Amino acid sequence: MGKQMTEMLKGTLEGIVLAILAARPAYGYQITAALREQGFTDIAEGTIYALLIRIEQRGLVDVEKVPSVKGPPRKVYSLNALGRSDLEEFWGTWSFLVERLEALQREGTKKGTAK
Amino acid sequence: MTPKWIELVTGSLDDKKRYRRYKERVAALPVSYRTAIEGVGRYLAYTGPGDSDHLMAMFDDLADLFEQSAADGVPVRAIVGDDPVAFVDTFKRNYGQGSWLTKEQRRLTDAIARAEEIAGDDDAGPGRGAGAI
Repeated sequence: MGKQMTEMLKGTLEGIVLAILAARPAYGYQITAALREQGFTDIAEGTIYALLIRIEQRGLVDVEKVPSVKGPPRKVYSLNALGRSDLEEFWGTWSFLVERLEALQREGTKKGTAK
Repeated sequence: MTPKWIELVTGSLDDKKRYRRYKERVAALPVSYRTAIEGVGRYLAYTGPGDSDHLMAMFDDLADLFEQSAADGVPVRAIVGDDPVAFVDTFKRNYGQGSWLTKEQRRLTDAIARAEEIAGDDDAGPGRGAGAI
């Protein structure tokens, strides 16, 4: 994964994880797997785990400990009301960014072809 | 230098027990996971949170991550990623930070606030516009 992608993901990964949890509750490994399926292949398991701890501390998710066949109990995360409103805010910010950047890109393309 | 966690850990019996429990969990891991978590733990002991509550919570979470990953068969590299330092820095941010760093950050913030307050005095001061780049 390129450096640019890594840098951009830093600011958006939390929103991405909230969006995944909005669809259904999941534990850490399932979230990483879902990300891999969508082409985010190089995101470290530990990075997702650290992010889950953070959103738990911020009260955006409810956590349920579920016994597992192998290993320690799994923490299953589900988005709560606070998390949903945070996600809504994320999409608002995202739309703003996309709109501004596309405008910049259009402008750049226009000038590029006007020569 | 003695790592600060040693002083912290010798401070309280509860913490001592908790730390011993953490070491047991580390010892029970498969060897590659154990090697990795020891490396992470060492870095965290030097650069991590300055209070024992945060430090112990962090070690517990770290053990959870490595035990679960070992159970799921997630290789060590996939846990910590291409840049282990970046991973650990992200991870430890959840637990406060070293007290010396907190102090220095406050000093920096104060210095800039002070600079802002006295900015009005610049007009009267010497050297204004005299060869400033």
